[in-house]
Amino acid sequence: MTTIPSWTAVAVSGLLVLVAVAIASWQRLGITRDVVVAALRALVQLVAIGAVLAWLFTHAGVAGALAWILAMTFVAANESRRRGRGIPRAYTSALVGILVGTASTLGVLVVGGVISTEPQVLIPIGGMVVSGSMQAASLTLSSLRRSVVDNRPAVEAALSLGLPAHQAFAREMRTAVRTALIPTVDSTRVVGLISLPGTMTGLIIAGVDPLEAIRYQIIVMYMLLAAWAVSALVTARAAQGALFDDAQRLVPIPA
Amino acid sequence: MRRTPGAYVVLVDRADLFSLEDVSLVVDGRRILDGVDEHIHDGVVTAVAGPSGSGKSTLLRLLNRLAEPTSGRILFRGTDVRELDVLELRRHAVLVPQHAVALTDDVAAEVRVAAPGLPDDAVRALLSRVALDPAEFLGRRPASLSGGELQRLCLARALAVGPDALLLDEPTSALDPRSADAVDSVIRSLVDSGLAVVLVSHDVVRAGRVADDVRVLHDGRVTARGPARDLDLHHELMSPPADGHVHPADDPRTHGPAHPQHAPAPPGAPTTDGPPDPLHPPEQP
Repeated sequence: MTTIPSWTAVAVSGLLVLVAVAIASWQRLGITRDVVVAALRALVQLVAIGAVLAWLFTHAGVAGALAWILAMTFVAANESRRRGRGIPRAYTSALVGILVGTASTLGVLVVGGVISTEPQVLIPIGGMVVSGSMQAASLTLSSLRRSVVDNRPAVEAALSLGLPAHQAFAREMRTAVRTALIPTVDSTRVVGLISLPGTMTGLIIAGVDPLEAIRYQIIVMYMLLAAWAVSALVTARAAQGALFDDAQRLVPIPA
Repeated sequence: MRRTPGAYVVLVDRADLFSLEDVSLVVDGRRILDGVDEHIHDGVVTAVAGPSGSGKSTLLRLLNRLAEPTSGRILFRGTDVRELDVLELRRHAVLVPQHAVALTDDVAAEVRVAAPGLPDDAVRALLSRVALDPAEFLGRRPASLSGGELQRLCLARALAVGPDALLLDEPTSALDPRSADAVDSVIRSLVDSGLAVVLVSHDVVRAGRVADDVRVLHDGRVTARGPARDLDLHHELMSPPADGHVHPADDPRTHGPAHPQHAPAPPGAPTTDGPPDPLHPPEQP
């Protein structure tokens, strides 16, 4: 088994920050200060989150873990909303997509007995699922926004033929969901070839047999595929509802 | 209200297709349309002419509820458009946008966009109706068509829905004169077979040639109206009138033959004054 690095070891690794600082000042890159601030911020943030997680793992229980995941979905939806600037109720659409993507994926894993409900499992796995769902929601909203701005004439031509909104907008919806899924499909396809993914890397460093570590990684990849797909679809559906008014009109969106 | 076969179209005989009652539209503090009161007749070509920015495209979008007026109301065959099912309204009065845009990558699929079950022979008939030879155009990609051909394909796509009226936004503005003539003659033939057409155009000469009835729009107001042949359209368009003054070429409601050369009344045209159901009027010939 590998030993976990001591604080002294961490301090030694701080010398590597000095390498970056040296390069930045020697080459007069003008980012010396940024490098120092970023390194210190990372230290403070990780110590803080480590302390919070340590507390959560011992005291939170299942309910606390779920509450933590729920809180993360609200933060994630707020991030995604920025991608859908101008789309009415973008926050709600993203929130619904991320919630449904996260709940359905985690639900299958828990009910299927794939993962345990201990906070130290639920919270990190939930974090990965929320993060994946958030990226899917963001890409979906951003693609929908672009479609509405670029393809308005085509959508209105279809509406003008008496087609209902969901038909007039079908092509844009397909494009949005497909665009959102491309990154995760690509990364799933080349997993292990280009870089060793995080879950597996962590387990291997912690001394787990690689053939066991990959099992966890496979579960994580499949879980993320589902989370992305569900979140993209639900976000797109919710946004479509907000993009058309009662008279089947595409609402105006600032370019 | 009586028409006999062979008689000329008389505008006063025509029921209202659309009525606009004191319609105004204000967007971001700008008055796009300003108290428009108009009657658009059934079964004829009505052109709304005016310089760009005069509000004419917006007027068209109000008719099929792609836009909503700030005040006033719009009636379709006597019923407020807001009381009608919007999808059905749009199938009765199909709007063809200014920039012809294909929604599929196949000519037959394009015709079927809003009429999925349309049999092959009906698709051929529609292509012929817009002067696109089915033998030549079936199987082609809309992207390979010229501007005028694509515009006519969009007309076929609109006709496939089975509308009573077409709302055409600048149907010939992007076309060379020859292609524009081809589109104009298709428009005339459609009206001769009983359809109503409302078209907007900045080309007042061309609009005057194809239309029975003309409205001239300036800064959101109708500044002249009447049968096409009676308006000095060049004059109307070139000289915006003083505020609020309307030049009637003649009272359109009491006017005589509008387009004797190419607008014979369809035999057995409807003779009722106010059909009770605007979306299901008496059968057209």
